[in-house]
Amino acid sequence: MAPIGGWLCCSRRAKLVAPSDYIDGDGNFDYDLAVIGGGSGGLACAKEAVNQGAKVAVLDYVTPSPQGTKWGLGGTCVNVGCIPKKLMHQAALLGESIHEAVSYGWQVPQLNAVKIDWATLTESVQNHIKSVNWTTRVDLRDKKIEYINGLGEFKDPHTIVATMKNGSKKELTAKNIVIAVGGRPHYPDIPGATEYCISSDDIFSLSHPPGKTLVVGAGYIGLECAGFLNSLGYPATILVRSVPLRGFDQQMARMVTNEMEERGVKFQHHCIPQSVEKLESGQLKARWLNTQTNEQFEDVFDTVLIATGRYQLTKALNLPAAGVTSVAENGKIVAPTEQTNVPHIYAVGDVLENRPELTPVAIHAGRLLARRIFAGATQQMDYDNVATTVFTPLEYGCVGLSEETATERYGADALEIYHAYYKPTEFFIPQRNIKNCYLKAVALRDPPQRILGLHFVGPVAGEVIQGFAAAIKCGITMEHLANTVGIHPTVAEEFTRLNITKRSGKDPNPASCCS
Amino acid sequence: MLVKNIANLVVRSSFTAGKNPLVLRHFSITSAKCDIVKIQSTDDFKAKVINSKVPVVVDFFATWCNPCRLLTPRLESIISESKGKVILAKVDIDEQTDLALDYEVSSVPVLVAIKDGKVQQRLVGLQDTDKLRKWIEQFTAEESKAEVKA
Repeated sequence: MAPIGGWLCCSRRAKLVAPSDYIDGDGNFDYDLAVIGGGSGGLACAKEAVNQGAKVAVLDYVTPSPQGTKWGLGGTCVNVGCIPKKLMHQAALLGESIHEAVSYGWQVPQLNAVKIDWATLTESVQNHIKSVNWTTRVDLRDKKIEYINGLGEFKDPHTIVATMKNGSKKELTAKNIVIAVGGRPHYPDIPGATEYCISSDDIFSLSHPPGKTLVVGAGYIGLECAGFLNSLGYPATILVRSVPLRGFDQQMARMVTNEMEERGVKFQHHCIPQSVEKLESGQLKARWLNTQTNEQFEDVFDTVLIATGRYQLTKALNLPAAGVTSVAENGKIVAPTEQTNVPHIYAVGDVLENRPELTPVAIHAGRLLARRIFAGATQQMDYDNVATTVFTPLEYGCVGLSEETATERYGADALEIYHAYYKPTEFFIPQRNIKNCYLKAVALRDPPQRILGLHFVGPVAGEVIQGFAAAIKCGITMEHLANTVGIHPTVAEEFTRLNITKRSGKDPNPASCCS
Repeated sequence: MLVKNIANLVVRSSFTAGKNPLVLRHFSITSAKCDIVKIQSTDDFKAKVINSKVPVVVDFFATWCNPCRLLTPRLESIISESKGKVILAKVDIDEQTDLALDYEVSSVPVLVAIKDGKVQQRLVGLQDTDKLRKWIEQFTAEESKAEVKA
């Protein structure tokens, strides 16, 4: 959307005209391709299929959350994921900047009175989302993709029945079908969860300020939500069942949570929720149990946000009618090359078993899949070395293997871990906490020390790590890194300065002053 | 606001001067409302825009679009000035999606000038009041020329 004072919303580049290389010999189907799910992966696949000349339909439908939140076309990332999350993270960073600005000489009247207007924030965020929904809709129309706002399920291997908003049914057949339905927040089976709790489906459009919030779950969604809420001035407590950021490098995860704790986020470790009840005041009383001490706790919150993982929306698809098998426990689909056990039915995105649940992964896989189906391409998706970033108050960006995984695969003796604490130049003047600004490179020990993983906690971690992800794809070694000249003064240059190994036992802290 | 003020002024002066109430009608707030319609459906669009005897400016807008919000008061005041020569039809692109897509609205705001059911002109993006007034005046002037010819 155009900024305030802009003159146009959703301005786009000129329309693309689809080349039509693909000519379908089989005219018995309504479509060459039907995509179930209009999220990042499904839409990318549909658009690329059209570029290859296929006739395509996309089904998209959002079942309201238990709290009644619903949204438009475009899937999780655009509506209730990456986009609103990043915007709220940005709002939080801006608030911090106002305070920092004072030490840089900005005269901020009544610094104590600086606070967020939740209604304005959510409205701005939702307006942006709606503009993206519209752009997406126009894009489908321009590319002549049939958009069906209905909930799709299989009738047989080639037939999909869509249930429309008004309850009417629409049937369509397709030669190829892509399952890209993604997932939704999972609710723990405790009293009051679905009745009173919200999830990431609801927080970005919440009609009232969240107030004091209990976040259940310490995965990246829980940490990010707690992080921005706390920075926006809403006290946040996190219930951690096992460890924060399970699956990520645990040393880095600790840096992230240390920083959050130092900023006032409360962590309740080894705790699982037991019940949430609504008080007459409208507030919520939450009870939880420490599974190590068996102690019970309770506290009163304005909002309880559930972030205990996501489940895949494959159950509603009636997969047995198509003969597609899924993993019983989580509903995920096993499809190493995106092809399911039924050859003409494929899956992309979050529904895939053992694949990173990330928008760019789904997009890339969807695009490559369309080229393989309709243009005879052979390139497979490479799911390794996908970079990602956790947008906690101090961000964490990484690519490649965690130290734990690398140790499992190669053994500690075969690895060299380079690490350093660093001081971002901008942190000095406002005297910001530098204790958790840390980075490391996980490399093979033998020269030229090929790098297996890079990890960075600090400002703009996503921007820092993206370029290095390309370098890892190219097989970057510690030698390459050491011979790379840094950009001064940046935080990304710290990677080029890495020289202390964990094995050496040397102090990874920078010189105490003026380094 | 402006319309209201003018209306009040005229109401007062019409009392003292005893002018024809018909003159008053064009300035009144009721008239402004008649000149500005919100389209409720494709059929409504057909009735109020396509079959309109008066030229229509269709304002394709979105509630989430800031430039649209800025355009609205400018547009409405000019339409009110036109004394019923032009009708303003407002189309919320999220409510009337098919309509907006049919008129190839990819960005908003878009103004489409329609006469006898045919698109005469398009104006994309936020405009200042002067440009807007000229655009509408030109459109309605063409209209009066056409009438003379007929």
